[in-house]
Amino acid sequence: MSGPAPSGAAATTLSLPPAAPAAPAPPARGLPWALWRRQLAAVVRLELRKSFLGRRALGLYLLALAPPVVLVLRALLPRAVSDPGNLGEATELMAGLYQGFILRVVIFLGCVAIFGNLIRREVLDRSLHFYFLTPMRRELLVLAKYLTGLVVSLALFGASTFASFFLAYLPHDGRLRSAFLLHGPGPGHLGAYLLVTALACAGYGAAFLTLGFFFRSPAIPALALFGWEAIHFLLPPVLKQLSVIHYLQALCPVPLSEGPFALLSDAPSRWVSICGLLALAAVLLTISTLRIRRMEVIYLDD
Amino acid sequence: MNRDAAVAGENGRDDRIVFDDVSKFYGEVLGVNRVRLSLPPGITGLVGPNGSGKTTLMNLMVGLLRPSRGTVRVLGMPTDRPEALFRRVGYATQYDAFPPGLTGYQLIESLLRVHGHDPRQAAAWTWQALERVGMVEAAGRKVAAYSKGMRQRVKLAQAIAHHPSVLVLDEPLNGLDPMARAELIALLRELAAAGLYVVVSSHILHEVDLISDQVVMLNGGYVVAEGDIVEVRDEMDEQHPAQVLIRCDRPELLAARAFEQDHVVEARMLADRSGLLLRTRDAASFYRMLNQVVIDQGLTVESVAPADADVEAVYQYLIDAPSGNGGNS
Repeated sequence: MSGPAPSGAAATTLSLPPAAPAAPAPPARGLPWALWRRQLAAVVRLELRKSFLGRRALGLYLLALAPPVVLVLRALLPRAVSDPGNLGEATELMAGLYQGFILRVVIFLGCVAIFGNLIRREVLDRSLHFYFLTPMRRELLVLAKYLTGLVVSLALFGASTFASFFLAYLPHDGRLRSAFLLHGPGPGHLGAYLLVTALACAGYGAAFLTLGFFFRSPAIPALALFGWEAIHFLLPPVLKQLSVIHYLQALCPVPLSEGPFALLSDAPSRWVSICGLLALAAVLLTISTLRIRRMEVIYLDD
Repeated sequence: MNRDAAVAGENGRDDRIVFDDVSKFYGEVLGVNRVRLSLPPGITGLVGPNGSGKTTLMNLMVGLLRPSRGTVRVLGMPTDRPEALFRRVGYATQYDAFPPGLTGYQLIESLLRVHGHDPRQAAAWTWQALERVGMVEAAGRKVAAYSKGMRQRVKLAQAIAHHPSVLVLDEPLNGLDPMARAELIALLRELAAAGLYVVVSSHILHEVDLISDQVVMLNGGYVVAEGDIVEVRDEMDEQHPAQVLIRCDRPELLAARAFEQDHVVEARMLADRSGLLLRTRDAASFYRMLNQVVIDQGLTVESVAPADADVEAVYQYLIDAPSGNGGNS
């Protein structure tokens, strides 16, 4: 709680206060950017406070902690590393862990939980109307919710990726490790992983936010999308282009073999992947804004 | 000019809340049908049994629902433009749910920030609203730990915090203790006296009767009566005679005098001949006549009591009337 309490803090009776100044109104001409910025910041602040500082966020924290915990356990195991002088082993381990677990499981499920519930959870909690009863454009509410999701997912999974990267190299020779991480390809690899993490959060986040408008439970579409992403290596090249993971993998610094049954296709270029994922997020957000503009508040047991 | 034409003519007015031939269907289910209303400033009571369409009407008024047919305009504003509407409208819903993890202060202050107010203004108005509903001491406690009455108060504080011109309150007296009810009623009167449009719903007619300047009675999604509360009362008096039970020493004398009055519809002697059950269209005139009989004839009256539950009975009469969906004042 903040702000000074009034002098009559013990007041228990209802009374009419003096006339109030007018509420902030948009400018007569042009777009009210300053007002929108204040409203956007207010929603992000409120969402962070009510959704991600409570008990509900515990599962997300555990999910984000899982990869670093695995790598810490590996570092503690005696003879977990066959050759401490071989950093290639750590690089391959990180590539496998990132593409097989962090990207496909941790970030994917995390985005389901964060973005899929931004609107849906409010409907289930019967609290969405509090936002709808404010003089804020509903499109702005979608954008604010999405930004909140991005802040949270980037903070959690960016930190998880960052920690995992360093922990993967922890059991190896210190001198070689420093050379790799400070002067070798290490920073480039780390930057690429963080970029993929950011784009994954943006792409999957927009997808699950949008699906939250169309499905009562995000679990069903999430499962379908999870299946689609999981078998993407078996898909013919044309269908591969319809999976998010296809573009994300193309940005990863270390390519991985997808097994003997994989259907090969040309990886998209770096810029096609980045622009494509951002464009996908923009399209999905546009769909969400159109949807929320016509949304009615009818809670499930009304 | 009939009422429908009058409402249609008022659709563009910016000093009324106007429902112009509004219907709302939830799939096959009727919410409200063919509603034509023009609500003036002051306190308007929406009354009707559960499921009669009160909440639907209120949600239509604030744009949480979109009409299947017709238009709603609040002070000239369409209800699908929240960015304009909610600068002037405050709504306390009947939903007893709140964003999780927030204190009463945080809830209201955060929502004022979402309105676009700067932190200092939001803090000042939050304390002002909390003070108005007597919740300053509980401001730092989590809303989830509030009693039902406190949650009602904090909802009201949220609705009035931004100083709206139109205040819509869905069942605001639910869960309040008698003292809090009296305080809330006084506040609503104060707000109405200051020129606000206050729309209050209740399924208890007596509550609305206490508060309202005008009433809208709903049943089954239809408006069954609406207008100035005195007019509605007059109509009720006209169409639904009041029943009065009088215990006295000479009921036959009273019956004879009663039948001389035009407004007396029926007088029945009680089985034990200890009094009369009398039906009148003008209870006030009857009581004057009774006093006169006592003075002139020395009638000894043991007790006089309304034999029906006053407004409740009238309400029952209105919603049970075969032509109820077309009735109005």
